[in-house]
Amino acid sequence: MRTAKTRRLALPLAALLALFAFFGTKNASAQDILIPMDARQSNHLKAYGVAYWVLQKAIPIDWLLNYRGGSFLIEGFADLEKELAIRGVYFERLSGAQTAQVIASVESESTNTAVVRLEKPPRIAVYAPKQTLPWDDAVLLALTYAEVPYDMVYDDDVLGGELSNYDWLHLHHEDFTGQYGKFYQYRNMPWYIEQQRQAEAAARRHGYRKVSQLKLAVAQTIRNYVFEGGFLFAMCSGTDTFDIALAALNTDIVPSEYDGDPVDPGALQKLDFSQSFAFTDFRPSFNATEYEHADIDAQLPPQQLQNPALDYFTLFEFSAKWDPVPTMLTQNHVATVKGFIGQTTAFRKRFVKPSAVIMAEAPGRDEVKYLHGSFGQGTFTYYAGHDPEDYQHYVGDPPTDLNLHKNSPGYRLILNNILFPAAKKKKQKT
Amino acid sequence: MCRMSRVLPFFLLILVCWDVAPVHAQRVQIRSRAQRTPPAGVDSTLVARFQLADTYLRGAQYDRAIVLLEDLYAASPKTFVFYEKLKEAYENVKRYDDAVALVDDWMQRNQASDPTTLIAEKARLYYLKGEEQTAFTIWDEAVAQAADNQNTYRIVYSKMTQVRLLDRAIMVLEQGREAVGEASLFQAELAYLYSLTGQHEQAMEEYLGLLSTNERQLNYVRNRLNRSLEQEGALEASIAVAERGVRKAPLNRSYRELLGWLYMEAEQYSKALNEYRAIDRLEKEQGRVLFDFAQRAADASAYDIALEAFDEVLTRYPDTPVAADAQLGLAEMHQRWAEKTREHLFDENGNRLSAPHYEAALDTYRAFLQRFPNHPYYPEVLRRIGRLQQDIFFNLGEADATLTEVTQRYPNSQAAHQAQYDLGRIALVRGQLEQARIIFARLVDALRIGELAEQARYEQALIHFYRGEFEGAKTLVSVLDENTSTDVANDAIALKVLLLNNPGPDSLSTPLRTYAQASLMLRQRRANEVVDLMDDLLRRYGSHPLADEARFLRAQALRDARRPEEALAAFGELPLMHPDSPLADRSLFQSAEIQEQDLNDPEAALETYTQILTLYPGSLLVPEIRLRIRALRGDGA
Repeated sequence: MRTAKTRRLALPLAALLALFAFFGTKNASAQDILIPMDARQSNHLKAYGVAYWVLQKAIPIDWLLNYRGGSFLIEGFADLEKELAIRGVYFERLSGAQTAQVIASVESESTNTAVVRLEKPPRIAVYAPKQTLPWDDAVLLALTYAEVPYDMVYDDDVLGGELSNYDWLHLHHEDFTGQYGKFYQYRNMPWYIEQQRQAEAAARRHGYRKVSQLKLAVAQTIRNYVFEGGFLFAMCSGTDTFDIALAALNTDIVPSEYDGDPVDPGALQKLDFSQSFAFTDFRPSFNATEYEHADIDAQLPPQQLQNPALDYFTLFEFSAKWDPVPTMLTQNHVATVKGFIGQTTAFRKRFVKPSAVIMAEAPGRDEVKYLHGSFGQGTFTYYAGHDPEDYQHYVGDPPTDLNLHKNSPGYRLILNNILFPAAKKKKQKT
Repeated sequence: MCRMSRVLPFFLLILVCWDVAPVHAQRVQIRSRAQRTPPAGVDSTLVARFQLADTYLRGAQYDRAIVLLEDLYAASPKTFVFYEKLKEAYENVKRYDDAVALVDDWMQRNQASDPTTLIAEKARLYYLKGEEQTAFTIWDEAVAQAADNQNTYRIVYSKMTQVRLLDRAIMVLEQGREAVGEASLFQAELAYLYSLTGQHEQAMEEYLGLLSTNERQLNYVRNRLNRSLEQEGALEASIAVAERGVRKAPLNRSYRELLGWLYMEAEQYSKALNEYRAIDRLEKEQGRVLFDFAQRAADASAYDIALEAFDEVLTRYPDTPVAADAQLGLAEMHQRWAEKTREHLFDENGNRLSAPHYEAALDTYRAFLQRFPNHPYYPEVLRRIGRLQQDIFFNLGEADATLTEVTQRYPNSQAAHQAQYDLGRIALVRGQLEQARIIFARLVDALRIGELAEQARYEQALIHFYRGEFEGAKTLVSVLDENTSTDVANDAIALKVLLLNNPGPDSLSTPLRTYAQASLMLRQRRANEVVDLMDDLLRRYGSHPLADEARFLRAQALRDARRPEEALAAFGELPLMHPDSPLADRSLFQSAEIQEQDLNDPEAALETYTQILTLYPGSLLVPEIRLRIRALRGDGA
């Protein structure tokens, strides 16, 4: 029961809230919001999620390339500041004059900066089985943490033509060669048995005798998806196995331990490197027990560098005005990023096709960490390593808690990729 | 490795010279016999060439190996190892036609008495070649060779599984079972194949069949099932079949154990209890099975089911060795259940409410003492009773008596130390500060180190604080806050900051003294008096640095006194009046919590939580606030 005293005492809180609401609304509607992505940012990863959330509301964003770590500029609207506060993203309010000043500075010819307008949230698909596997997926972790919505697709969906519903496709720790990740030592584990069972069932469903044939069909469908304008982002073994499978379309590179029959003795001669996206002249590994698909992977760093404190890679700097795409993909608040290991840790430079753009490499090691290229109307980006915040992620390890890595430069590279398809296509400067 | 390379030539020599039988199944036996009695007249050239061929094979130089092996086979066509290696080499280069021809040749030359293995192998090669229909026809022929022999089916099934034809392998084994006329044949093989192909009902049928013939296979079956239960629908299907099995054979213990285990895996504890109850009765286990189950259910936080199981052990088997543990388990379950359901003993007006689980816990602990007076857990149970009386039932007199009994009858035990600490707390609540001080001091003397000793030291500091002996309190908390690993370190730091920031204005530090007095009163459940005292303090010393602390304490007292709307207003005014206070964010947080929990107004709570993020983005409460906002918004992230 409310007493007179209660009503009187209840007033201050209401007054306080009303006061805050008044100021909050006024600020939000009248000003632009700058989300700096430099060291001042409290949560870089959630900032991408907010950007996506804004795009979902059909509100455009200006991505200020190379300006304060690749900041976002948004015209203020109701609820934006509240959402930024709830997600813990640092922002600054800019008056009209300040906004104009920032834009002018970014567009100035004397600086390596540029404005890219983001207009439409890309529809995102992650290629992953429904089955829970005993390792994490860095992109799923990043998308989930940043609160970016995505759909999971797998073989049936890909072969059923579902990819046309998406702008962006991600592959992670996947094996397109049909060798179940070359986890032969785990062949008696429940998850391996189930993985094999499901893959064989899917192969039969689609009329293939072998899983490798099914996976090749999936890889070729993804290749066509990219050719027709799709954006592909792949990490870890999703990168090299994709290219290996495509190159091996005319032969059998799978040892009998995985498919019951031996490798084609003429496999090496039958590889067709014109089919692959990024790699050429590589040699697949025919050893069933070797945890490696080909010699593309540079494998572990030298012994003395196998230390999260010493192992790192450097991002290339591109001309923001002339090369906006690689510039977008390399936006970061640091120039060097902590290294991390995976089944595919880094790409040996000698196997990278000249047409691919190298965006990051391990200094002095002739190893490529991050690359990008075009194919038909679409593009592909390969990022080596498994989990940017878990130096060496083992089978059965718990997933990384991104609450502890809100400013992860390694994870930022993943999230750059999800916004890149949102960019408005602009005529190249001539 | 070195030893192997020395032994290998000798071993190969023996194999080459020995006129081995053609049937693969006999090889192991022949080799071991050959090792015992090496033949005379060895052709060392053949051995050397074979070694070379083998090296080529291991080096993946198949074409070179084939040339050598073809020569060797031509020279000695009855030597099994030549035949086998040549076939392997053909297979490696996918020359399946040559491999098939070789098998045919071997069969013809060696007049195999049991050609099934060779025919089945030929079929496998055809399958690898891609001639699936031919392969199936030849496998049928292999079966027809000896359709009444169970080994036939094993051989064919084995060849089929090598090329992952699991469904066909199942058909072959089923066919063999029918042909041989033994329903129990191939149960383990079929169960495994059914699991691999996701046919979980059939797999479970086979496992039950296996158990019906040998109950001791239960562990094997559980191990096998463990590998497949993660598959979608596997658990449900397995349970359905096991339930049917139990209905058909209710006296089969292994069936019931398997079903009970499956229920546990599916977290269907009530159904699991039924199974373990039945096993206990059928097998006259005197409550042992039920007791084990109750413990597992308790570990899985299924308190209600664990409670039922413990209760049943006590009711049915009151004189068995597990009865004491069951009694203790029963009391614990009541207590944990009461905590889980947040049972309250008093309403906002102080009227006693029904609290069945707390009451049952107390009664069960008492029954334990009565029935098992010499049990090693007796002192601990007595202490638990004392703590319930003290903290839940607020019956200080009874608690005092119980805890005193623990300290007197079992001095120097862990239970006695805990009881002594609780007695100190009782003395504090009663306002017997000197008595409390002595108790805590004795405890510190007795223990010196450890968490309980640190807690006792902190209580000593608080006693100084309550008495207005601020220097003494400061000295004690200075010691405590150095050891940051203890739970009380944060409290000690907070007390130290309070003491340092709020002296004056007079030499007695009257406001702080009043505040200390009110803090003790709040502990003594005198919330309404605290409100009045703080109102008085704020009237007299409204501009003292302690004012924000006083307002916070007053608001806390209002909440403790179950006056949520007033508490909401009191917490709300603090940030307005003291915007720079370190308590400002906590006050708003408390406001939001009252709106959410006490006033059932989630929308208002959401608004208040959000305002804290805007006003105090650096607050330590931010992570918790974000979680609550997301829970209220139903984000689930």
